[in-house]
This record gives sequence, C-alpha cells and structure tokens, in this order.
Amino acid sequence: MTTKALTFPRLFPRPKADTGIWSWIGTVDHKRIGTLYGITAFIWFIVGGLEALLIRAQLASAESTLIGPEAFNQLFTMHGTTMVFLVIMPLSAAFFNWLIPLQIGARDVAFPRLNALSFWIFLFGSLIINASFLTGNAPNGGWFGYAPNSGATFNPGLGMTYWVVGLNILGVASIAAGLNFIVTILNMRAPGMGMFKIPIFTWMTLITSVLIVLAMPILAVAGIQLQTDRVYGTHFFNSLGGGDPVMWQHIFWLFGHPEVYILILPAMGIVSEVLPTFARKPLFGYPFVVLAGAAIAFMGWFVWSHHMFTVGLGPAVNTAFAVSTMLIAVPTGVKIFNWLGTLWGGNIRLNTPMLFSISFIAMFTIGGLSGVMHASPPTDSQQQDTYFVVAHFHYVLVGGALLGIFSGIYFWWPKFTGYFLNEKLGIANWALMMIGFNFTFAPMHWLGMDGMPRRIYTYAENMGWEGSNLAASIGGLILGLGILVFIINVFYSRMKKVMAGNDPWDGRTLEWATTSPPPVHDFDEIPQVKYRDDFWFQKYPETISEYYHDEHDQAVPSGAQIDGDDAEANAELPVVTGSADDHGDEHGHGGIHLPDMSYYPFILAFGLAIFGVAFVTDGLVLFAGAPFFIWGLLGWSMEPVND
Amino acid sequence: MTQAVTTQHHEPVENTSTGLNSRKLLMWAFLGSDVMFFGAFIATYLVYRGKSLVGPYPDEILNIPVTSVSTFVLLMSSLAMVLGLHYVKEGNRGKATLWILMVVVLGAVFMGFQFVEFREFAHEGLTPRTNIFGTTFFILTGIHGAHVTIGVIWMAFLAYSSHTGKLRPDNALDLEIAGLYWHFVDIVWIVIFTVIYLISATDGAPAGVERVIHG
Amino acid sequence: MPVAGENYGWYASLAFNAISPIFVVGDFFDRILNNPHFTYSSQMHRVSKLSAPLRPALLLLVPVAIALLAACTPDNNQSTFGTAGPVAKDQAGLFNFIFWIAAAVFILVEGAIVYIAIRYRRRSDSDKLPYQTHGNDKLEVTWTIIPILILVAIAIPTLTGIWAQQNGVPDDKGEVVFVEAIGHQWWFEFRYTDHEIVTSNELHIPVDRPVALKLESQDVIHSFWVPKIAGKVDMVPLNDNYMWMIGDEVGTFYGQCAEFCGIAHAHMRFRVIVDTEEDFQAWLAGMHTAPDTPSADSPAGRGKNLFAANCSSCHTADTTSPGSYARELSSQQARWNGWISDIENSSIVSAPNLTHFGLRSTLGAGIKEFTADTAQAALEEWIHDPSSVKIGTRMQKHAAVYDTPDGTANLSETEVSDIASFLLSLKPGSAPAGAVADAGGDADGEAIFASNCTSCHSTGDNKLVGPGLAGVGDRAGSRVAGLDEDSYLEQSLREPGAFVVDGFPAVMPEWSHLGDDSIDALVTYLKTLN
Repeated sequence: MTTKALTFPRLFPRPKADTGIWSWIGTVDHKRIGTLYGITAFIWFIVGGLEALLIRAQLASAESTLIGPEAFNQLFTMHGTTMVFLVIMPLSAAFFNWLIPLQIGARDVAFPRLNALSFWIFLFGSLIINASFLTGNAPNGGWFGYAPNSGATFNPGLGMTYWVVGLNILGVASIAAGLNFIVTILNMRAPGMGMFKIPIFTWMTLITSVLIVLAMPILAVAGIQLQTDRVYGTHFFNSLGGGDPVMWQHIFWLFGHPEVYILILPAMGIVSEVLPTFARKPLFGYPFVVLAGAAIAFMGWFVWSHHMFTVGLGPAVNTAFAVSTMLIAVPTGVKIFNWLGTLWGGNIRLNTPMLFSISFIAMFTIGGLSGVMHASPPTDSQQQDTYFVVAHFHYVLVGGALLGIFSGIYFWWPKFTGYFLNEKLGIANWALMMIGFNFTFAPMHWLGMDGMPRRIYTYAENMGWEGSNLAASIGGLILGLGILVFIINVFYSRMKKVMAGNDPWDGRTLEWATTSPPPVHDFDEIPQVKYRDDFWFQKYPETISEYYHDEHDQAVPSGAQIDGDDAEANAELPVVTGSADDHGDEHGHGGIHLPDMSYYPFILAFGLAIFGVAFVTDGLVLFAGAPFFIWGLLGWSMEPVND
Repeated sequence: MTQAVTTQHHEPVENTSTGLNSRKLLMWAFLGSDVMFFGAFIATYLVYRGKSLVGPYPDEILNIPVTSVSTFVLLMSSLAMVLGLHYVKEGNRGKATLWILMVVVLGAVFMGFQFVEFREFAHEGLTPRTNIFGTTFFILTGIHGAHVTIGVIWMAFLAYSSHTGKLRPDNALDLEIAGLYWHFVDIVWIVIFTVIYLISATDGAPAGVERVIHG
Repeated sequence: MPVAGENYGWYASLAFNAISPIFVVGDFFDRILNNPHFTYSSQMHRVSKLSAPLRPALLLLVPVAIALLAACTPDNNQSTFGTAGPVAKDQAGLFNFIFWIAAAVFILVEGAIVYIAIRYRRRSDSDKLPYQTHGNDKLEVTWTIIPILILVAIAIPTLTGIWAQQNGVPDDKGEVVFVEAIGHQWWFEFRYTDHEIVTSNELHIPVDRPVALKLESQDVIHSFWVPKIAGKVDMVPLNDNYMWMIGDEVGTFYGQCAEFCGIAHAHMRFRVIVDTEEDFQAWLAGMHTAPDTPSADSPAGRGKNLFAANCSSCHTADTTSPGSYARELSSQQARWNGWISDIENSSIVSAPNLTHFGLRSTLGAGIKEFTADTAQAALEEWIHDPSSVKIGTRMQKHAAVYDTPDGTANLSETEVSDIASFLLSLKPGSAPAGAVADAGGDADGEAIFASNCTSCHSTGDNKLVGPGLAGVGDRAGSRVAGLDEDSYLEQSLREPGAFVVDGFPAVMPEWSHLGDDSIDALVTYLKTLN
C-alpha cells in the first residue's frame, strides 16, 4: 500500500466483471462484501444449529448413547466456537459492511481492499476450523479451551490445533475489519455529520470495532501461547513445566468478556434503529444510549474474573469483580429504559422487525437479570458451569444478539434487495423462534439450579433432569423450525418480489435516502447533514423544533464558533453552516470515483490460509503458502486503488 | 476541491471528517491493537517471573552490556528514521535514501544481536522448552523480533522507493506511517528491555527450588 | 425443603417471560385471521387491534405449565434448593433474595413492554406523528441511580457471603475435619491427613461438624461440587484451593465434577456420606482395621490372588496398616509419574484406592449405584468391560489384563466373579491386622510367581511395570550393602518401597500376606532366574 513507486507484474488483468463468480472474488464493494459475510455466516449458523440439535438429541433422555462422549465434546466445542466466531460476529460484520457507509453518507469504507481481505480471511479461517470434522479431528476442548485440558498432554490429537489455528486466522480478519470501520466511521462521515449526529447503529459499530481491535489481539496471544505449548513444547499453560493453567483463564477471559459485548452491542445498535422507526419517535436519550454503550465497553474490561469466581482467586479478588460486574448492569439498564422511553408515547407499528426488537428487550432483560444472579460469587458458586449459565448466555446471545440480528434482517432486507420479506411468514418465523427459544432455554434455568453441570454428555436417570431436558430438546426443534421458516421466507419473498421502494418503513437515517437496493456508488450525491436523524427531519421539517427546542432553553454558547465534533457533542444544535466537517467527501461534488476491483485480497488471504493449514498438516506446507502470500502482498502494495 | 479520489498527493489538510489522513489513522488504530498484543505477552512474562522450576535462570544467562548495545542500536535507528523523514520532506533524495538505508542497517544489526543472543542461550541450555523463563523470554522477544523484521523489509522497500525517486515530499506520508510503526516497535523494545533485562537481571531460582549449576 | 415454596415464584415468573411476547402474537394472529383484506400494500399503514389477544396465549400456556410442573423438584439429588448444610443454605438464601429483586424488575420491565405495546399501538389509519421528543435528563438520572441502589442492596449480602464462605473455616463451628480432595481424570481421591486414611469417590463426613477441604488436581482442572451441601470450588493443578462445608443432615448426597475435564467428565461423580458422629468414628476406626483373610479356596480367597496379580499395580486395596498410608501416597504419585512419562503405552495409571470397597455403594466414580443384591453383578460387569459402563476410563486402556483383541478382561467368568467377591469382602474384619494365613509347606515358587507377579515382571530382560527379573539372583546380593541375596529379595517382597530401582515407579504392593512359606518359595524361585 505504501510503495506505489514500484510496479508489480500482473498475472491476471484487473477484474472488471459485474456478474459471475469473478465479480465476487474481485469485489471491493462494501455491499457485496456484506452480502458475502451474511451468506457465509448464515451457512455456518445452520451448521452450528445442527450441532446444537445433535447435542439436544443426545441429552433428550438419560443415559443416552446416541452419539457418545467424544462426538459430544466435539459438537459442543464447535457449536460454541461456530456461533460466536462464525455466526454472530460475521453477521454483525455483514450489517457493518452494508450499513455503515450508507448510514454515514459515504460511498464505501475507508479501505475497500482491506475490507475484502477481512472477508476472505474469515472465510478461509472458518473453512479450516470446520475442516477438522472431515479429518475426524474436530476440536474437543470446549470453546473456552481451558488449559491444561486443551494442551498436548491431555489432548494429543489435532483437534485443538485446528481450533487455535482457526481462531488466530479469524482474529486477523476481525482486527482488519475493526480497524477499517474505526477509520471509516471517524473519517468518512458526510459533511456536517458530527459524531453526535451519526446513527446509533454506527455508534455501536464504532464501539464494537474498538473492542474488536483491542480484544482480539489478546485472543491471538492466548492462541499463540497455546499453540507453541502444543506444537513446540513450551510451558505457558503446562502445569508439569511450571506454567499456570489459571493464566490461560485470565488471558482468555480478558479477551472473552469484551467479546461478549462485541457480540451484543451491534444487536443493541440494530434495536436502537428499529424501535424509533416503528414507534415513529426519535431514540429516547440518544447521548445517554451512546454513553451507556461506551460505558459498557469500557467497564467490560474490568469484569473478566467473574467467569472465574470458583477458580479460587480468593475473597478479595472475588469481591472486586463482583462489584465491577454488578456496576456494568447499570449502563445496560440505562439502555433498556431508554428503549422503553422510545416506545412510550409512540405510534407503534408491530411489523416483523419491531416484533423481533421488542422481543429482544424482553428476552435480553431476562438474560441480564440472571446475569446479576451470578454476579454474586456465593450464588455463582452454585451456578457456575451449570445449565443456569447456559440459560443465561443463551438468553443474552440468542434472545439478545440473534433476535436483534433477525430484527435487522427484516428491517433492512428491503433496502438490501428492493423487496420485502413476507410479513406472514415473518410472523410465523418470529413466533416459532420465540416459542422454541423459551422452551429450549427457560428449562435450563431450573436444570442448572437442579445441579446439572454443563458439558456432560449424559446423566443418570435418578437425577430428575429428564423432563426439562426433553422440553429443551423439543424447544430446540421448534426453534429450528422457526429458522426453516425464515429460509423459506427468503426464497418465497425472492420469488414474489413485493417491491418496497426506497423508504418502506418511513425511516430516519441516511440509508433510506438512497434507492433500494442502493447503486454501486451508494449515493448519487453525497448528502449534507444538519441534524441527527437527518433524513427524518428532511421529510418532516415541522418536527425539528420538537426535537431540538428543549436544547434552546439550555445555555448554549450561541456565539461560539463550533469547531468540529467536540463542540457538537456539547451543543446538539443543528449546525447549518460553517462546520469544520463541511469539507465535502473525497468522492463528492462531481464525478463518482469508486475503487477498482482487485484479486489481491483473495490471493493474500489464500496464502495466509495455507500457512494455517501447515500447522495442522506439515510445516513444509508453509512453502506452498508463501508464493500466494508474497504475491498477494506485493501485488496489492504496488497496485493503485484505481488504474 | 479536486476529484482526485485516488490521488497520491496529500495536502496538509485531509478531506476527511477528522482532518486526519485515513491511512495514518489506520496505523494509529493498529498500533493501539498491537499494544494489547504486546501487553498480553509482557503481562505473561511478568506473571511468570521467577517461576522457573529449573535453570538456567535470568541471573545466569542475561547479558546486560551486550543487550544494552543492541538497544542503543535500535534507538539510533529511530533517530535515523526521523532524519530520513526530514530529508524526504525536504526533497533531499540522496540524504533521505541514506538515512532510510541506515534504518534498515541498524534494524538488521539489532536482529543480528538477537540471533547471536538466541544462539548463545541455546548453547548454554536455555530454549523455549527449558523452563518458564525460556518460554516467556523467547516468545516475547521473538515476537518483537518478527515485528522488527517486518519493519526492516518495509524500510528496505521505502529506501528503494526513495532511491528511484518515487518517494517524494508529497507522499512523504508513506514514510511517516512506516515511521510510526518503527518508533512503536522501538518503544516496545524499551519496555521489553526494562522488564526482561533490567528488572529481571538478578532473578535466580525461586524459593524452594534447588539451583543446579550449569556448566 | 425450606425454599420449596419460593420456587413456585421463580417458575411463575419464568412462565411470565414465556408468555409476555405471546400477548403480541395473539394480537397479530387475531388481526391476520380476522382481516381478509390484509395485504402488503396495507402493510405500512397497519392498524393493531387487540380484540382477543389472550386466546392463543392461553393455548400456549399449556405446554409451559407442563414444563413447569416437571421442573418443580427441590428433592432432586443435586437440587441447590433442597439444602442439607448451612453453606448451601446461605447460597440458596442469597439466590432467593436476588431472585425476588430480579423478579420485581422483571415484572416491571416486561409489564412495561406489554403495556406500552398495547397502549401505544397504532389504533387507526391516522398518521399523526408522536411528539419527537429527544429525551429527558431527569429520567436518565433516575434510572441510573435506582439500579445502583438496587445493586448496593444486592452487593451487601453478596460481600458478606463471600467473606463468610471463602475466607477459611469460621472458628465457632466446632471441631474441624480436614480432608485433602484430589481430582484425577476421572475420579476423586480423598485423604484424611490427620487420620492417615485414603479413600475414593465416597467421602464420609460427620454431621454438624465443619469439614475443611484442600482441593488439588493431579492432571487437568476439575471442580468439587456437592450442590446440597456447598457450592463448587475448582481443583486446579498447581493451585491448591480451600473450601469448607458442613452437612447438617445425615444421609448420602450427590456430588459431581463441574469443570469440563475430558472424555469422561460426565462420569466423574462422587458421594458425600454424612454420618452421625458415632458412625463416622466407627468408619474411621474401620478404615484402620484389616479385613478378615478369606480362606484360600473361597471365591474371595482366589479373588485376592487374582487381584494381586492383575489389579494391584494400580489399585491398592489394603491401606489399613500403619505406614500403608504413606506408601499409598507415594504409589499414587508413582503411578502418575509412570503414566505421564508414557501416556500412550503406560501400563500403570492413577487409580482409586479400594480399601474396604465392601463398604461402598457405588463404582466407577459414583456412576453406578449398587445394593447388596446387585453388587456382585455390577462389579462383574465393570471388571469384565469397564468401558461399557464408563466410556473413556483409563483402566481398560492401560491395564495389561485388558490387552486382548476385544479389550475385555483376560479372565474367565469365574475369575472375574472371584475378584468381585474379593472386593466386596473388603470390610473391617473382626481381628486386628497382622494375622496372616500360611499357604502351607510345599509352595511352588514358579506357580506363585505366575499367578502373582507376571503382570508387572517378566522373567526375561524386558521391562513391564517393574524390571525384568532375568538374572535377579545374581544382582540381588550386590544391590544393597549388608544384605545378601536372600535377605534382599525377601525384603523387596515384604517392603517393596524400601529399594525401588531407579527409573521404575514405586507401585509394587507388599506381599507379606502370601505367607512365609510362599515368600520363601518365591525367593528360591527368583534366584533361579538367570
């Protein structure tokens, strides 16, 4: 990227195709990349879901021998890993890609080729980690990979090596994407769009990206350390050589807890867009929702040891982390109350996206409250590693993140494709998911309080766990049915194509200002932004005074020259003219220049993936990856953005 | 306002929302990420300090004077970096190339020191597998060495660019961004040097572990 | 159970959580079903009626109610509500306290959602816009401060609980019983250090007396958990943990490893048997009383020899005599060292101590319960093919006796049965330890060797668990200064721990019980190996 001075011989002509497979492999368009993320992640979602159904089938009855312990361990390890790294994170990334440039009035992300690279690395990483099934060596040490059970001594197979290698490759993809969105959101906003005018989903994306960029390196460190332990015989977590297994837990959860917020904040952002649109009111307390998100992200760094209350860190440590964990419930509560405030007094239309979003609040609240229960170490000592915890985080991740994502899918589908998803099927999808979800995970609360540990592949008949487990398994099937209805809906709606128009929901943010689906260049003319929810206030200028009049009463330094974001953060006055932001976009005013397509991200990612393969096959494979890696790197660095 | 979307010309004020160049911002954000990366390794080292069950222990093997020299070399490379950037901006192609080459050379010398040190330690019986000090020491300094190596390769390309006249005052940003990276890697080394060499220099066998003298 | 009644509130609110979104479903089904003109074109101008939203909601309540009834189980073996000790009781009490606060918040929030969804639903085709309010700072402050106050209310008993439960045994609870609990893949070892007693998978404690546990692990992380008596604490290698608990109800309580520890994690269970003080003292005394020696031709007698020949390199079954405790500790360490040095092929592995197995009621680390009637059959099944009971057990993979084509024991049905009889006969005997039956005058050393020693020793040079014994007669005289070959060999048989050959695990059991004549015959035989 830096040495444009040199030229690199092209083996292939620069891709130009608009259609066909090569148009996807060479694409740098954020919308196409978003679609790729979405489709890939959804396929893994089905895989992860089937893994879950197999787990539930095994647990449906006591003393079941359906799949046996080894397969069971592999399934729950891959279910967790898949759902966290291959489903919720990339589904969020799909929304980031699709929406961020549209919401901030840009033509693409800051680094389109880097964006493509992120996707391809993610794709290859996800393939490597799942290829372990084909070799019969799926990871079996849990998604948390606790040492020393994940080390070579107690887990000599290749499974956990696949896991470590896969996660490290996925980490590269996540960090690259996170960096890209940080720069995009900070630097690519439409003229006039100060930081406190960007849509709330964009805010949550920014916060999530910062968390990704800071948290994923820690997972990489954990992965490298475990990898060197496994392959080269170092002693990071090897208790026989002086390494401390608790160290793994500290490092893993120092990553793992921010990761929890990486999973949930995008969904919170989606819900914060859907609720105002369907209540036809602005988001209640926008700055507080933003600050609550930032506070959650910040405090998320100081609570990791609540995953370790039973590790024996001592009463002082447990006290500190109990208090910090409880505190984090405060900004979470602030968000929930602001969502209720948004709905209050609204003119609420209960379309499918709204159903999912309202259910999000309902279900996430349950997950949050059970979270407070194990924020208390004494009660957690009974709940830790039981199904109560399983219930808790599924209420947060399925009832939270996934419902939010489905809400987003139904909400933005018309924008992505130009047509609606069928509403009746949507309601069936939602109802089945909600019923199935609650049937699956509500019983797990009392299974946990009834003493059923996690990660056991079977249990005795006399424990009294059969009824609830059977209910949970049936619920899983209903939940799966709901997903099936969604898939049917996608194909049915695609067939029927009920066209939506540009602004089907009477939207509030800039993405609704352009066509559905948006043109390659997103906006014919880069919008000039004056207000928060600018698009809404353009449509309903008579309501501007309702939103902004309160602020007029407050002491705003009226004469002060507003200079950039800080001033705008303080004074939410519409900046009509003279903002420092008002430079105009790089692309703006005149001819539209988009970055040309490029093969190099794909080639570079391919080379990197081969490196990964070397760790699970033979070191010599590194030499097979090197040509692709170097070719991709050099070609890319010497290729201009546009010819 | 020009239409030069893809321009390699960087005006002093960027056409971005923040006024900062996007690539520069990217590098800053990346360095933030890298801080966590090194931070986790350094934290691991500190947690495991003095926990080796067998020798060699740091006080038997660390060679502070030699490493001080290599540290000095790396620090000087940062100075060369500053001078290189200065001359690129000034348009003094010859001096710019010279100083950027100096960065490459000093970086390579530093790597040479590290190579010799690793080999020496291996001779004295310390490898990543020997004990927890070896594990944490080699992986941390090795990861840093990998960063330096990447930087050296990057600088070599830039030196060539400068030599051929493609690195000019108007795209001095290319060098400035590489410089951010280089200075960062340099600063990280100062932390590593402090933590491993200066603080741990007198670490011996932990209490309760019998010291075995290594020949 | 003290908290049983409160459970219903828990279930009721979970029911509420399940139905709250259904109010909204009801609205929708109703509207769709009653509106033949529902089309997509009307989609954006939807009017929400609420004529009978509860009908479908009630239908959906039925399965929820069934699930709840099935879940009402404070008497379940591992229910954290049916507590049998003050620690678990305090933990359940704190849970209930937080639960009711959470329930109140839950009803408030979910109620608000339902209320708002109904009250502010779009009622007519009018597109009148709501007031575009931006927020309210006073409200924000309010709903920041109120949760903080609630959390302070939760934090106070939480912190009290932490320091009460995690800061050592309180002084005022009575005389403390110390137990070292060690997690192994996949069973629990319990050492009563003060009493020099070691047992496994069934922990005896006296009622109403505090038990201080030192928790350790030899391999991976496990977790010690007896839900009815106390919450869990992990067993982490290199990190000794401590916990205390009191059982205030006599009975048998279920425990289970709660940290994922590998393939047999689900089958790593144990029992805590809370005895009366008298029973506990009797149990302690019994653990120091050797079992009666079975007659040589009884099933148990034959089983004893079979056990010695096939099982004793991993399982010790006679840790009753003075000094045997220390020997078992070093043997257990040696088994671990042996396994860890050759994980794939080791013929020894850490294994539960089986002293007074006849007092036990479970096998396979608490996974299979038996009674006097079913014990024999259960043990036979286990000995014949342990993996059919406990998938992943190391026993089958490492013990030489399972080195057969189908992996089952290389023993006849009678032999299996004899071993089972022997194990079940292991109970505190009527006579004090030391009485040893004599095998008779004309013992055949070679036969005794074949039936007792060959699982660990070859007569050639190859190493099994122990050294190959070719030429042992020549070596024996020069190994230890002051001991001739006869004395060395005899002492090696009677006190194997005395001279462990370098590089071999100290796992050899003592063989005095064979009787003086047999020992002499063995010594004679060993000297012939050249």
